[in-house]
This record gives sequence, structure tokens and C-alpha cells, in this order.
Amino acid sequence: MANVTVSPTEFHFVTFDAAEVTRLVTEVADLVGLPSDLPVHVAIDETTPLGRTRVASLDPVTLEVEGGAFENAKAPRTLSERSVRDVAARLLFRVSDRLSPDFADAPADEELTLAQTVAWDVYAVGRAARAGLTVSKPRRLYHFRNRHGFNDVADAAFERLWAADGFSWAELDAICQETQTARV
Amino acid sequence: MKKMLPPEELARDERFTRLPLAARMGDRRRSSRPADASGGPAKRRGGLQLTPDGANAPDQARGLMHGIFVGEIQALEGAGRTCWDFEVGSGDDQVPFELKLDMARQCWDESRHCEISIKLSEWMGTEIGEFAESTFLYEAACNPDPVLRLTGVNRALEGLAIDVFNTMREFGKAAGDPVLEFCEDWMLADEVTHVKMGSDWLRRLTATDPERRERALEFQRVVDKLFSIGGVRGEGKDSPIKLARRFRELAGFTTEEVDEIAALSAEAKAENKARLARTTG
Repeated sequence: MANVTVSPTEFHFVTFDAAEVTRLVTEVADLVGLPSDLPVHVAIDETTPLGRTRVASLDPVTLEVEGGAFENAKAPRTLSERSVRDVAARLLFRVSDRLSPDFADAPADEELTLAQTVAWDVYAVGRAARAGLTVSKPRRLYHFRNRHGFNDVADAAFERLWAADGFSWAELDAICQETQTARV
Repeated sequence: MKKMLPPEELARDERFTRLPLAARMGDRRRSSRPADASGGPAKRRGGLQLTPDGANAPDQARGLMHGIFVGEIQALEGAGRTCWDFEVGSGDDQVPFELKLDMARQCWDESRHCEISIKLSEWMGTEIGEFAESTFLYEAACNPDPVLRLTGVNRALEGLAIDVFNTMREFGKAAGDPVLEFCEDWMLADEVTHVKMGSDWLRRLTATDPERRERALEFQRVVDKLFSIGGVRGEGKDSPIKLARRFRELAGFTTEEVDEIAALSAEAKAENKARLARTTG
């Protein structure tokens, strides 16, 4: 079982339960197949309803999450299990990729273009769907089209990424270059 | 059929979740990000403006579009109730028949907007009811004075709709989303007409009653300030929803009236900033 910790342990602006977040992220880390002795820390900024998320560090693995990313859009300030699983899967699949030699040449997250970031998200969320998590494919398609173009080339690229497994950074980046060429 | 239907009796199926306005307004969390000292990509991607280079822009647009969708439902309900709630006549609680005709036309427009919004939401990957619904538009449509009702709904809230549709249209254009741009452009054209109806009826029904006109304009000011959403709508470079001056002028607003809305928005923004400073220490 993955070694997950969450901060803060008590929330004052939202009604999140740190133990519940720990349980959900642990479940997802195991689904993703991260090593069981790998520490994973989730730092939540509960003071904002915004929803930015990022892998802040790989050693130790640290996910930084703005509170809005974990909340229930129908009931603000409450935790959404689906959102926690969705965010954790997207970020932890990326962590898993980065720990593999196939992604050794991937630029740091801060250096990725939006198109590369979103393509990687699609690759991650497609695998999360096949692992049995409830995700929204149409939402990811809309994100992808915004970054890769509203055209047939982008849609076909999306489907390839969504169905992919065992990709390398070079393959993922090649798809980004393909859609970029189609936009020019 | 009941007259003056209260908001809690609006019919919705199980997909919808209602969020009381007090709960939305009472959120103590900050809705803006502190400046990123690094000035790097995190800052570039972290703003609240609805522009394609924002990392969360597609989700921002999805949430905003869902808000528009439920607003369209309520605008249909509000205009429909205005047709029914008032008898034809010249009293303060009555309306000319032609006003009812305008409201009937607006119902037709809003029905079309609901259908467009459903298709557009599907295109954007949004499920109906994915976000909570606030009923503030319909609540403004419950005012027992038809002039205040039209001023609050058609001038203030449909005016806000002009700003939102224009912002979304510009976003669709910049993002290269032809469906979003096209849909927003068509709905925007109708909103200009709805606001113009509000402006025209305000002036006609209060032509000989300056006190009633002032009450209506005061109601509009309250609604405008409240729904500047803490200054989210404004003319600042960092305003996520831009005040659409040109379209407002087409809808019967004078330059002074638009200036006043801009000032109210700036005031709301300053008050929100002070409130957040107090609550988050």
C-alpha cells in the first residue's frame, strides 16, 4: 500500500477530511502501480476555491493542489471523491511516467507547453479510465481541442493518446508536433 | 395557476442542485491568486482572465457556460411569469399588452438559448447539472413592481449577460473554437434586444413618474453592484468579464450609465479585496 500523507490535517475554510483524502489518494496510487514504499505527500491550499494542481517534486513525491480541484462543484467547500480520484490519477500517472526511463528526456513541468501538458493529461486520464476510475472523456477532449486545434487531426491524435499505454516522451511529443503542424 | 411563484417552487429534475446565494457570497476563500514572485510560467498560466493561455481556461469556460445555461432557464421562467403575473392596464401593478408581447418574444428567444446552451455544453464536455445553480436571476424576476422587475432583470442581469456573452465570444474566437464563437454571437444579439426592451419600457412606463424611475434605477444599481461579483466584471486589465461598452450602448445605455456600472464594479472589487483581507488575515 502506498505511503500517502496529507497537509493540512485539519481544514478551516472547507469541510475536507484529511483521512478521507489520504484513503482516496492511496487507493489511486496503488491503481497507478507506484512502488508501495514511495512516499507521496499531498499539500492542499484550502484558502482558495481555484483548482490549479501540480507535481511540485518527485523526490519526495509532492502534489500541490488548490482546494477547488478536490471540491464538489455542486456543493462548494465539500470534498468530491470523484475529483480527488481524478486529480490524483492524472498527477500520479505523470509521476509514474517520470520515474520511468522512457520519460527521462521530458522537460520539467514548468517548461512544458500547454499543448504538451494537456496531451500528457489525456494520456494519463485515458489510463485512469481503463483502470476503472470514473472520468470525463468529453471534458478532456475539449481541453485537448483548445490546445491542439478544433480539427480532425487533433481529434484523431486525442483518440490515439487516450487509448495509449507504454508511450515514451518522444512518442507523446511527436503527437504534439503533428497537431501543431496541422494548425499552421 | 399561481401568480408570483417563489424561487423555491421552480421545477427542476434530479440533475440540478441549487446553491443559495448567501452560501455563494459567504465563501471566505480568496478567489484570486497572490502574485507569483517567480514571474515564471506558473504566473503566466495562473490568472483569472478568460484567455486561451490560462491553464484552466477550458474549465473556466465550461463553468461559465453552465452558469449561462441555468441563467437562460431562469430568464425564460422570469419572462414567462411577467406575462402571467400582471394584468393589462395602466396601474403600477399592471402592464401594457405590448409589454407582454415583448416578454412572450423573450420567452421564445430564451427557449432557443436553452437549446443552444445544452448543445454547446455537450460540445464543451459538460454534463447538465455538473455545477450548482444559483437562482439570483429568477429572484430579481420576483419583484412585484413590473418596472423594477424589468429594470433588475432586463437591464442589470441581461446587461451582465451581454458582458459575459461578449467575453465568451472573444474567448471562443481566440481559442479557435468556431462553435463557441458562433453560438455566443447569436445569443449576444438577442441579449442586446432584451436589454433594449428593458431600457425602453423603463423610460415609457416612468415617463411621468420620476420617483418610480429613480426607485427602478436604484434597484438596478443594487443588482448591478451585487452581480459585479466582487469586481469580477469590470474594465480592468485583470477583469475576467469585460464590460461590453459598445453592445450596452446598442442596448440603450447612455455613456454615463455605463460609466456608473464601471464605477460600481470597481467599488465592489475594492470592497471584496478588503473583506478578503479581513477574513484571511
